[in-house]
Amino acid sequence: MTSEIAPRVVKIASNYESLSWKWMRISALLLIPLVWGHVLLQDIITGVFAMDLSYVALRWASLFWRVYDALLLAFAFAHGMNGLRQVLFDYIHGPDGRRTVVILVGMLWLVVTLVGFIALVGGVNTQFPLK
Amino acid sequence: MGSIKTTLSGYIGYRGREGHWSFLLHRITGLGTGLFLTIHIIDIALVYLQPGAFLDVMGLYRSTLFGLGEIGLVFCVIFHGVNGLRIAYFDMIKPKLWSIPTERRSAWWILGITMILWVPSAVWMLVRLLQENYGLFR
Repeated sequence: MTSEIAPRVVKIASNYESLSWKWMRISALLLIPLVWGHVLLQDIITGVFAMDLSYVALRWASLFWRVYDALLLAFAFAHGMNGLRQVLFDYIHGPDGRRTVVILVGMLWLVVTLVGFIALVGGVNTQFPLK
Repeated sequence: MGSIKTTLSGYIGYRGREGHWSFLLHRITGLGTGLFLTIHIIDIALVYLQPGAFLDVMGLYRSTLFGLGEIGLVFCVIFHGVNGLRIAYFDMIKPKLWSIPTERRSAWWILGITMILWVPSAVWMLVRLLQENYGLFR
C-alpha cells in the first residue's frame, strides 16, 4: 500500500497484443471528438423525435458527414470488437476457446462493418415508397 | 462456467475500492456502448436495406423505455471516454501516476467530470422525452 514504488520501464518486442493495446488507446483519442460530436448532435441537439428518412438523406447529401460517419463506423466498431475480444480473453484461457472467440468476434466485426459501409455508400433507398 | 462464477464473486468481493470500481464501470459502459453500437449500425443500414423497417425502429426508439435507455447510453459514452482518456494518459505519458493515491483521487475526478457533462444532457433529453410522450413542460 505504498505509492513510492519506482515504475520500471520494460521494452517488449512488438507483438499482436502490444499492437492491440496501442490501438485501443490511439483509436480512443480519435473517438473522443468523433463519438462525442455524434452523440451531441444526434442524441442531444437533434434527438430521435426529429429523425426520419429525409433527415438521414439530408445529412448524407453532404460528403463531409458521410466521411465522418465512415470514420466513426470503422474506428468505433473496431475499438468495440477488440474490446469485446479482450474482455472475453479475460475469462476464456484455453487455445481452442480463444481461437473460437477470435473467429466469432472477427466474423461479427467483418459482417457488421460491411453492412454499415454498404448503407453508407448506398444512402437512403428511394426505390421504396417513402410514405 | 466455473470461471464465470469465480469472476463474478471476485468482482463483488474484491476490495480494490476506486480502482476496482473504475475498472468495473469502464467494462460495463464499454460493453453497453458496444452492444448498442452493433444494433445501431444495423438500424441505420436499414435506410438502404429496408427503409420501412427503419421508420418502425425509430418509432421504437421514441418510446419512454428506449428514451431512458438512451440517457443511460449517453452516460456510458461520456464515462467510457473520460475514463479512457485517463487510462491512455497514465499508460502512455505519465505511468508514474499509476499509484494508489493518484488512482483513487483521479477516479473521483473522472466521475465528477462525467457528471458535469452528463447531468445537463440527461435533463435536456428527459425534458424532451416528457414533452413528446406525455405533453409535459410545453
